[in-house]
Amino acid sequence: MSSVIERPAATRHIIDERSFTHAAGLGTGPVSVEPYRSPEFFELERERVFKRAWLCIGRVEQLPQVNSYFTKDIEIWKASVLVTRDKHDRIRAFHNVCSHRGNLVVNQTCGVAERLVCRYHNWQYRNDGELIGVPDQKHFFDLDRRSCGLTPIACEVWEGFIFLNHQKKPEVTLAEFLGPFGTRYAGIPYFNLDETIVIQADFKANWKLIADAFAEPYHVPSLHPATLAPGFAHPEENRYARPLSAMAHGIHRHFSAYGNPDYVPSPTSKVEALVYVQDTGGVLGGDASDNAAALTAHPAINPTKDRSWSADVTWLFPNFNIDYSTGGFWTHEFWPVAHDRTHWTLKIYIPKTMSIRHRLQLEHYACRWAEVVLEDVTNCERIQRGLDARAKDTMILQDAEMLIRHSLHVLDKWVKADRVADALA
Amino acid sequence: MTAASPSLPPGFEELEAFVPYWSLETNDQRRAARSTADMDDIQRFYDAIVARAEQAIVHCEQFALGFMPPASERLFKLLLAMNHAAIAVEMHGAPRAFDSTWPSAVRITEGPWPHGGGSR
Repeated sequence: MSSVIERPAATRHIIDERSFTHAAGLGTGPVSVEPYRSPEFFELERERVFKRAWLCIGRVEQLPQVNSYFTKDIEIWKASVLVTRDKHDRIRAFHNVCSHRGNLVVNQTCGVAERLVCRYHNWQYRNDGELIGVPDQKHFFDLDRRSCGLTPIACEVWEGFIFLNHQKKPEVTLAEFLGPFGTRYAGIPYFNLDETIVIQADFKANWKLIADAFAEPYHVPSLHPATLAPGFAHPEENRYARPLSAMAHGIHRHFSAYGNPDYVPSPTSKVEALVYVQDTGGVLGGDASDNAAALTAHPAINPTKDRSWSADVTWLFPNFNIDYSTGGFWTHEFWPVAHDRTHWTLKIYIPKTMSIRHRLQLEHYACRWAEVVLEDVTNCERIQRGLDARAKDTMILQDAEMLIRHSLHVLDKWVKADRVADALA
Repeated sequence: MTAASPSLPPGFEELEAFVPYWSLETNDQRRAARSTADMDDIQRFYDAIVARAEQAIVHCEQFALGFMPPASERLFKLLLAMNHAAIAVEMHGAPRAFDSTWPSAVRITEGPWPHGGGSR
């Protein structure tokens, strides 16, 4: 519950009524909901989207030193991947599969090791993928160790984010895939990289439903009335939390979220008032450091440089968000499991705990986030049931929901295009 | 823990009754405790801890984070749980979000250090 402070009329927020949808060159009609409920469409997504697109699977800080490694299950590939930092400081990725009998090599989620051993028969690999040890090698038949290394996966890094591509020889580079987004969003300072709050959910809904939930703020006043609405909407100035801007950047997209600049905890919210840090309206944490100033000065962030700004949501096609606010940044990975099953990981990068009071603030931040997530996950499972009932064949999108329309438009292109270059066109 | 051997630092005896249910090790455990409690119990804990919050913070500030004596650490965990009680009391007026399901698919797998849970 918030209290709202009156401000003189001259500083009132002015809603941009230009159409984001028209500006992005998108249509305005109803859109099919078949991509959210069709097992056949899901298989097309697997083969033509997730096995051809560059997918973000983590950040370089997960490999803090030479010989660091981590593993990750990518269920949409039905694969376990191994990501390493070799002795030349090069980040590499491999299928985590032994050349001998196909077992998984590494069963730890992360660690530090130059040599990785498959525990089935102790075949040994160096972290650059080379097979360096085969017990009782003389009893194999014409074994060519050099051709029996770990199977590499195409791996590139952009701004500290690690991307993989399932294609043996990717049709396009990561830079080509990122296109105008990659240049526009280059050079943003990333800070608070060593500490994270991680919230995860495995739930019964299509992966796009949760991605869509973070792509539009129109639902904030209704679905998140207590957890988010007081900070991200305003009963007079922006009742429906209309975005400050929303744009397509090639196959990627962003919207800038409104923040109530006068938000303060209500006097009856004693705990929130005790732990609250005043910033530019983001109730999701604040960081008054130079980092935050450099972030907000970047031309891609809050591109209209609106005073009533709280956060930018960027949605990298197909399933990754990097979101920026004055308090730092957070990422979403929306991983498809089945047409009606999703694994979602939210990582919130936070400052190191500095004091007792700061720790209490971080706890409040984490519990508010978890409650927002609970509201969204519960809601997505309800939508899936509604769509599966097949009462409706289409959904109706308003202008603030432009990112969802753009997502479905791009997805359709990728599913239909035989060449990635055509899907990017 | 019996009444004869208080688990909290001297001066915080009136919070003793809340230790078994609310003084928990991880962020996710505290969230689950709040989400499954009765609203009356959450309100009782909230009222008691808020009334002593400032003194409890000052007490805990004598020690370095992560290096508190056990009694002070229990008190600190009550302060952490206060934030969860506040979600129910100050935001929802109910133990958890309207129309949400429990058990929940949502997990906080890593919380802030210390006593957040996760890999650290």
